[in-house]
Amino acid sequence: MDSLKQMASEVEDLRRIAQSLYDTSDDFPAVNRNAKRILASIQMLRINLEISSF
Amino acid sequence: METLPRESLKKLQLRKFKCIFQWAYDNSRFHRSLYKAAGIHPEDIVSLADVRRVPKVEKAMMLSVQSKEPFPYGDALCVPLDEVTEFRQTSGTTGKPVYQPDTWQDWEWWSECWATLLWAQGYRPRDRVFLPFGYNVFVAFWAGHYACEKIGCEVVPGGVLDTQSRILKMKEIRASAMMATPTYVLGMADVAVRKLNLDPSIDLDIKKITCAGEPGALIPATKKRMEQAWGAKVFDHAGATEIGAWGFECEAQPGALHVNEAMFLAEIEDVETSAAITEPARPGKLVITAFDRFAQPCIRFDSKDIVELCSERCDCGRTYSLLRGGVLGRADDITKVKGVLLAPAAIEDVVRSIPGLGDEYEVVVEKRGDVDHITLKVEIAEDSPVTPEQLEAHLKTELRLKTNLGYDLQLHSYGVLPRYEVKAKRFKDLRKKSDN
Repeated sequence: MDSLKQMASEVEDLRRIAQSLYDTSDDFPAVNRNAKRILASIQMLRINLEISSF
Repeated sequence: METLPRESLKKLQLRKFKCIFQWAYDNSRFHRSLYKAAGIHPEDIVSLADVRRVPKVEKAMMLSVQSKEPFPYGDALCVPLDEVTEFRQTSGTTGKPVYQPDTWQDWEWWSECWATLLWAQGYRPRDRVFLPFGYNVFVAFWAGHYACEKIGCEVVPGGVLDTQSRILKMKEIRASAMMATPTYVLGMADVAVRKLNLDPSIDLDIKKITCAGEPGALIPATKKRMEQAWGAKVFDHAGATEIGAWGFECEAQPGALHVNEAMFLAEIEDVETSAAITEPARPGKLVITAFDRFAQPCIRFDSKDIVELCSERCDCGRTYSLLRGGVLGRADDITKVKGVLLAPAAIEDVVRSIPGLGDEYEVVVEKRGDVDHITLKVEIAEDSPVTPEQLEAHLKTELRLKTNLGYDLQLHSYGVLPRYEVKAKRFKDLRKKSDN
């Protein structure tokens, strides 16, 4: 369970970084669109790791 | 997640239901007015029992919603239009199609649901998966395609090829798995034998088949015919455009579907009274919520699918609920004839369990005077080992035994009845027409 919590914490780090990239890339469409897709994938990781809260 | 103790699973479901309910309340004008009219607000959901106070949504309501702005989705849309990346629509078999908007995250979620079920059915990165379906506006196996990519399988799109070309391509590249409706799985095997002189169970390498769109893969006689024809394991899955891929049969093939309860909340209701059904072996209507779909939320959607809980646990170790026999039929199709409840799936099971009969059949229910009549049309297989008279007698006995009803039987020669590629329409209740 500790390793799951660690993974969940790393996913939150990823999310913060991807969100920051997305928020600051309005004038760089390629980065902005790829960051958006990464955020969607990160959301799936969050769903995968919901188990870590039990 | 799949082996989480039931208690924890329930906690997760409550948390997730509250989240999607709040989301819809905050972002969808349609949902908010529906809930306000029912006097229920997000803070009222404190236990799973409270979920039953939330009004259900029916397909007809979505059609009405979609006549409003913003075009073409209407005011159940919870995101700005420019966030929508995917358009699909329902197959329209029950009327005008409903449009389904999805964001890229929703689409990722669709393929996540499918990846879960395909992995449970034994799909692995080494698989070469052939998809013999028309890639178009119907969702069909689209998410299966993306899920295979997610798993790491090699995906071969069999889009606009005709049936013979699809079979030859599967042979040429030694595809190890495919996805199709039960009707098309049987139809392809027939074409392989008849037109290409190939025996799919020997000449092709397909070892896994995932079915969708129709209940056949959990109708024992249909599953047996498919598995014998292809020399492959056949798995069922259940889903819908407006809902997502909510149920799956696992590698253990328990004769039942697992509900993916980490991603969906499945409730079963009495068809007539809407009372909750929590005990096994009692059929009812499935009302379902998708927890993680956000552009057009699916909250307590009346699926019209008839299902029943099964008390046994699956050998695979998953703690998810099991639905015996998968989707047993549609609330619209399961009807009373001469006072007896008739499920078309029961007729299919009889027809396909009789050697000497072809795969196709058609059921017509009509009223003659005040009396209900059922006509069952079947085809005699070209290699039938028995006479038509023997077949008819066998069929009549089995039908009486399994469905408790009498039929006017019509035995046709092979190839007379219509063939289908996507959703077959083999059940026709003409009484409904005359009622209108």
